[in-house]
Amino acid sequence: MAERSFTHEVLKLHAGEGESFKGEGILAITKGLLQSGVAYVGGYQGSPISHLMDVLNDAQGILGDLGVHFEANGSEATAAAMLSASINYPLRGAVTWKSTVGTNVASDALSNIASSGVTGGAIIIVGEDYGEGSSIMQERTYAFAMKAQMWLIDPRPNLTSIVDMIESAFQLSEASNTPVFYMMRIRGCHVTGEFTAKDNRAPDFSSKNHVVPNREAEKIILPPHVYQQEQDKIAQRWPHAIDFIVDNKLNEFFPGKHKQLGIITCGGTYNTLIRALQRQGLSNNFGVSDIPIYVMNVAYPVVPEEIVEFCVGKSHVVLLEEGQPEYIEPAIHTILRKRDIQTKVYGADLFTQAGEYTAQITLLGLTRFLETPGMPYITKNFSVADVQRFNSPLTDIEHQKLLKVVPPRPSGLCTGCPERPLFSAIKQVQNDLGPFHISSDIGCHSFATLAPFNLGNTIMGYGLSLASSSSIRAALPHKAISIMGDGGFWHNGLSSGVVSAVFNKHDGILIIVNNGYSAATGGQDIPSMVEPNNIIATTIDARHSERDDSVSIELACRGAGVEWVRTVSTYSIEAMKKTLNEALQSSQPGLKVIIAEGECMLNRQRRIKPLMKKSIGDGKRTLRARFYIDSQTCTGDHACIRLSGCPSLTIKPSLDTLREDPVSYVDNSCVGCGVCGDNVHSAVLCPSFSKIDLLYNPNWLDKASSLLRRNVIKLFQRYDESRQAGQLL
Amino acid sequence: MTDTPAKTINIILAALGGEGGGVFTNWLIAVAENNGWLCQSTSLAGVAQRTGATIYYIELFPKDHQKGRKPVMSLFPAQGDIDIAVSSEIAEAGRMLQRGFITPDKTTLITSTHRVYGITEKSDIADGTMDASSVLELAAKYSHRFINFDMSELAAKHNSVISSALFGALAGSNALPFDKQSFKEVIVSTGKAVTTNLAAFDDSYDCAQRAVGGSAVEIFRPQTAPSKASLSDVKAQFELPVAQSSRGSELFERLQTRFPVATHELIYHGLQRLIEYQDFNYAHQYLDELEKIMKIDNGQQNFKLTNATARYLALWMCFEDIPRVAQLKVRATRVDEIRREVKADAEQIIHITEFFRPRPEEICAMLPKALGRALLSSRLGRGFLGIFAGGRKLRTDTLAVYLSLRVLASFRAIRRFSLGYETEYKMITNWLDSIKLLAARDPQSSLEMALCGRLVKGYGATRERTTEQVVTIAQFCQSFATASAKEINHLRLSAIKDDTNEAFNKTLSQYRNVS
Repeated sequence: MAERSFTHEVLKLHAGEGESFKGEGILAITKGLLQSGVAYVGGYQGSPISHLMDVLNDAQGILGDLGVHFEANGSEATAAAMLSASINYPLRGAVTWKSTVGTNVASDALSNIASSGVTGGAIIIVGEDYGEGSSIMQERTYAFAMKAQMWLIDPRPNLTSIVDMIESAFQLSEASNTPVFYMMRIRGCHVTGEFTAKDNRAPDFSSKNHVVPNREAEKIILPPHVYQQEQDKIAQRWPHAIDFIVDNKLNEFFPGKHKQLGIITCGGTYNTLIRALQRQGLSNNFGVSDIPIYVMNVAYPVVPEEIVEFCVGKSHVVLLEEGQPEYIEPAIHTILRKRDIQTKVYGADLFTQAGEYTAQITLLGLTRFLETPGMPYITKNFSVADVQRFNSPLTDIEHQKLLKVVPPRPSGLCTGCPERPLFSAIKQVQNDLGPFHISSDIGCHSFATLAPFNLGNTIMGYGLSLASSSSIRAALPHKAISIMGDGGFWHNGLSSGVVSAVFNKHDGILIIVNNGYSAATGGQDIPSMVEPNNIIATTIDARHSERDDSVSIELACRGAGVEWVRTVSTYSIEAMKKTLNEALQSSQPGLKVIIAEGECMLNRQRRIKPLMKKSIGDGKRTLRARFYIDSQTCTGDHACIRLSGCPSLTIKPSLDTLREDPVSYVDNSCVGCGVCGDNVHSAVLCPSFSKIDLLYNPNWLDKASSLLRRNVIKLFQRYDESRQAGQLL
Repeated sequence: MTDTPAKTINIILAALGGEGGGVFTNWLIAVAENNGWLCQSTSLAGVAQRTGATIYYIELFPKDHQKGRKPVMSLFPAQGDIDIAVSSEIAEAGRMLQRGFITPDKTTLITSTHRVYGITEKSDIADGTMDASSVLELAAKYSHRFINFDMSELAAKHNSVISSALFGALAGSNALPFDKQSFKEVIVSTGKAVTTNLAAFDDSYDCAQRAVGGSAVEIFRPQTAPSKASLSDVKAQFELPVAQSSRGSELFERLQTRFPVATHELIYHGLQRLIEYQDFNYAHQYLDELEKIMKIDNGQQNFKLTNATARYLALWMCFEDIPRVAQLKVRATRVDEIRREVKADAEQIIHITEFFRPRPEEICAMLPKALGRALLSSRLGRGFLGIFAGGRKLRTDTLAVYLSLRVLASFRAIRRFSLGYETEYKMITNWLDSIKLLAARDPQSSLEMALCGRLVKGYGATRERTTEQVVTIAQFCQSFATASAKEINHLRLSAIKDDTNEAFNKTLSQYRNVS
């Protein structure tokens, strides 16, 4: 069960010919796949295409009815290898992942399938995690397409184009026997809109209609075939692709009255370009532009004939190509130079050499183009100077003022997150024994590298923390410490990390954060998923039962040869500190694995809230916990916050007439995880924290003891009042 | 171009993870579609559900201008091209200003004025909160229309969520060509929490309508609590209340005859605290100490020296030992405060579990000097104390714990003979002596020394660190006749840079070397 459920929305996927389909970009892609007769789909979750995996997962009923095979793959490499079904058989297949990281993981299988070539259409839907909202290093998938000779589609970001280009991508793949990247940018994945649907198509071959096993030796990637495959890429597949693109008009030409000028754009940046033209008064709302535009919905390969056709007779042409280095720009120069066409071509130099083509950058670049030397005069609304002023109307002094008052909001762990007490424990052990060098990994736990924990030195990739500590461990004054999530462990960490570490007699510590989900990508299921069943909204005493099909991380480690394995609840800070100390000081050789267990609180709350509501509604005795800070005993030092960083643990202005500093405060989003209390004990903090249990449906014993207590306490308070009367100021 | 009959309406929404920005967007899309407008939205969710800031961007276009054509809408908010900006928190409005999304020629800015503190503000050792008034000021200056009020409080009042309040403010801003009813219909059609959401919507709608008030430009009026300090140092108009007891009027008389009016308010609160903490004699002792400070105060800045000393001396004299904590935990008003805060139902039973971790040092501090010292210094004694020290979870709603705490609270009767009192008062005297010493040298240094009283806070190791800092600064001033106000100020600010004394020690050694 992922964080966001699409069970309701996926019903739209039944839409038939001519029906209007409204929804998000990813839902449209799924519909496009079904309309194209896809036979199998798979992938690995990750922003911005996490929801595509969630949609596919929730659409399994519809997929099953059509005979479409779905797998939630173990990694991007697994997903890419799935495409092999399209090598020998006319099966259309699609896989998806976050790029470029996922492409990197998948690269082995991708290169091989690109060499073998395909019979059935094979497409890879990559969520290009680039620009604002990205969570990874900034690179382009484009380079991979070039080096492996795979095609790359970058459609205009409206739902109709998105869906049409899915079908075209399959056809292009089949016409040129080449796997095709289908690139979606972050905003495009989440864009909403509508398109006219077609009927879904069942695949030709499936579990309902088997293929006849077919061996084609020349498609195996061994010599001598690989030499022929390389020749084929250039002599056969490339020209077939170019022909298909031209014949089917996958790229679009839009005319304009200023015929001596031209703009070349990739599909993905088309809408931003049109908005810039609109603002300059050079286009209407519907994209009818005064300047001719050539839209490359196929970003790779570049079609020389079309470039020539567009540029001939133009004095100035500008290209929008986002990201670095630029690949299309030199390709255009080469094409024009070889034909001796003297059109001036501008590109990244007018926009930006690196970084996203935002609305402002695009408007600025376009305006600079209109002001380049030798440009005929064109009436426009804004000059370059005008556009630069749009950056901000504020003066420098005002900017400085704002810098001081607008706080940074780095990503952090959620309220009640089970990883918080783990990092509190590590921080406390570091205070005693540190400083530590820690190899971190990809996942929610990456946020421990930020404030307030500031733990972690390097992140080398998903499931690669242990592997990345294998060199530095020799030079460290303490046993090497690696932190990995359960997601990363199953993705890559077991083989690249644990197995290799055991083989190389790695003496360090691996902490595996086991929260039961692929949490950072949206709470997708993983092999070691747990399904705890107690409904009290506190995890202090969490007892849990595992799912029937759950695979144990501990057994996997032991199977790989690890002898020292401890499983500790993250919420037991003292036990965690003890285990860490033991691991750090143990003289036993070999890798020490600490499995830090605690269910992802975001998913846990989603799961148990309805259960708790039902329990209360059914009249069962139920306790709901949350924490509270006594503002009269809090002195405003905020040590508790520095140890925790929980969103629900915040501050409020002091109401005390004498104290000036704000006091700590627990807001109503507290889920009562218990970490605050545990920190009080393990870090010797102040006595201001209390756990409050709200009791629903009390039994007679609760009622009787509560009545007795209240009445006795009231007697004492009355006595106090009578005594205090003479003590008033 | 000639064919430009209509333009898109561009709307940006800045929200924090978990505030219902997605819900708000879906409501808005529904309103627009029901009114015959085409709508495109996109968002940068990323890892926002985990506390970060989220941006939603929405464009609307009237369908009757389409004539079979499809408008091309942008996925990027553009600087200088935003018609409506909505922000769920005032600092996020500041971020939109920084990014150039608010422009005086067209942007209607709708923001809640409440604060959601960032991690850097929260984790500060003293007060790291940022003052949002400059955001309000700049927002008023650079927006075309500015609608601001505390929508978080408004939503809470109606037991609703901030997205309903934002939605009401948007409807009431008159910035969209849709009538109020069409907004309400969308809330009703969701079928979720309709009554409370509508109540918040209506209230917020009215607030926005009042703000719009028919005029084109809003006059800036800050609507949040303006001052961060709970009590200003200077209030000439303060009038002492009538004394409730004869011993009270003795104190008031002393206050009125020996101290200027400008210091009455703070000293009054100090006296109140000391009596509640200990007794009238302790309050007289407080005035004894303050009179000595009063004598050296040159009266500048409305007797700032006396006021500052009065504030920090009262707090220090009311140091939080075990009897004090026990006294506060059994105070009569506490249970009601908790019930209100956790929103317990009228007759609902609640359990209150305290988390204590006294160290042997704290236990000895509440005992008579000789006994405390003997226990601390012997192994046997420490072993005995070990029984009481360490992590404890205690249910204060049970009689056994309540009565035990009352017994502990009663130890305040022997407080002035306790080891803790001796230790604390020695440090207090040292601090006061330094203030006096410096007054003879330079009034500004003396004031800086008094302000160092603010450093004292916390329990256990934190308290040891912070009091030690004051002692160290005092010693520094006593050893080096050249110690200047600037240096003391720098030391004081270094002390609250980190909780490891790193910055403090660095500054200290720097000045020691120079001196």
